[in-house]
Amino acid sequence: MVGMAADTEVVAEVSAPPMPRVPLLDAAHAPLTARPYFAGGDPGPIVAALASIPELLEVTLPFLSTVLNASAVDARTKEIVIVRTSARQDCRYCIDAHSVVALDTGLTVEEVRTLTAPGPVSLPDPDESALLDWIDAVAGAIGAVPDGVADRLAGSYRDFEIVELTLLIGATMMLNRFCTSLSLPTSAEVAARLAREGLA
Amino acid sequence: MTAIAEAVSSGELPGRVWMYSNYHCNLACSYCLTESGPGVTRRELTGERMIEVARDAAELGFTALGVTGGEPFLLQDMAHTLTELGSILPTIGLTNGTLFTGRRLAAAEEMAGTDVTLQISLDSADPDINDAARGPENFAKVIAAIPALVERGVTVRIATTGQDPDAVAAARLCALHRDLGVPDEDHVVRPIINRGRAAEAEMGVDVTESDLPAELTVTADGAFWSPFGPTVVAGQLDTDLLLTRTTVPLRVPAQTLLGLLQGRPAGADSTLNIR
Repeated sequence: MVGMAADTEVVAEVSAPPMPRVPLLDAAHAPLTARPYFAGGDPGPIVAALASIPELLEVTLPFLSTVLNASAVDARTKEIVIVRTSARQDCRYCIDAHSVVALDTGLTVEEVRTLTAPGPVSLPDPDESALLDWIDAVAGAIGAVPDGVADRLAGSYRDFEIVELTLLIGATMMLNRFCTSLSLPTSAEVAARLAREGLA
Repeated sequence: MTAIAEAVSSGELPGRVWMYSNYHCNLACSYCLTESGPGVTRRELTGERMIEVARDAAELGFTALGVTGGEPFLLQDMAHTLTELGSILPTIGLTNGTLFTGRRLAAAEEMAGTDVTLQISLDSADPDINDAARGPENFAKVIAAIPALVERGVTVRIATTGQDPDAVAAARLCALHRDLGVPDEDHVVRPIINRGRAAEAEMGVDVTESDLPAELTVTADGAFWSPFGPTVVAGQLDTDLLLTRTTVPLRVPAQTLLGLLQGRPAGADSTLNIR
């Protein structure tokens, strides 16, 4: 939201984040095996929530880190997948957090707006548009993915890339439902950045 | 031999597994780690679950059990549960000793001659000092319960919790427990730990996991590094010494505990005489 301050300067208003539905542990309450995740400061609400079950944290985080971070698929493509999947799942936390990551990865503000828009969207690159159709069919619908959508994806990506991209969609959907259901809050830092970029 | 058994055998891993049978209590001691009292959340382990944990513990190679609370004897059939546990591994049951009258005292006889020891809290030979921390008439009830249990063949030891022990007061307490039929080797003294209600009252010594024996401790909320781990402050369970939420099979938290121990630098073992 944008409002007018008393001195007429246009400033961004950041709405209060939702209250999480579960405790988010801080470093002082982090269980023994979770402590390394807090060593560098606030690890974010996903880790802070998962830390309540350390035996799940210690297997979930390496998995998520491997799937979400640098891999054989380039970072831009991965952020397209994550932001678009999150938009189809309407996960406020994930859209916010990964809009910032997408910008940092090199996507433009306009591209992020496109990825978060409702309804069918496309990007100029035909490979990326084929991917968007695939994401919408996987994350925005239930049941079988139409053959035509799969055929177009196969024309743009290699088999192993299709496997990884589809796993990335699935992992993102898992996080989407986790974050949305538990009402995990967007950080003030991310909210401020989105406001500055006109994406709030 | 399992890795756990080897670690227990070598002394790397303490042999006792503790279980919090419950968190509610008929007392509300000033230094209680768990903020136990009459109205608190029970966080109860069933007798069946405790026996399941005990069997797991024996199979893994642990050598002893402990049951604490809360006041375990607020639970029905605790004497029978402890007897069952004692048939699996030698067992210590911690109790405030105030409930051993009538049916509970009669039921306690089942533990006579078994591998069960009751550890009863008694902080001072001075009733006023003892009762200031543990509640009205605590001293009188404990003094009556100990010989009654001993007479019935139940093995009893006494635990004293306190700050800055005074030599004269300690001598009086030892004379008292000898009179009650409890020998010196069955009297343990331990410091107040600055957790739970003691932390809110700014009592006791500060500890980290390296100060506490790594005794695997099972509760209804998960498994912890030590029986001093699953403490409660302002009604909230402390999680800093949480190992896993999974408690059965016991190998899950046991392996986590062993992994942490094996990752600790040499010499980083217990520095406080805490039992």
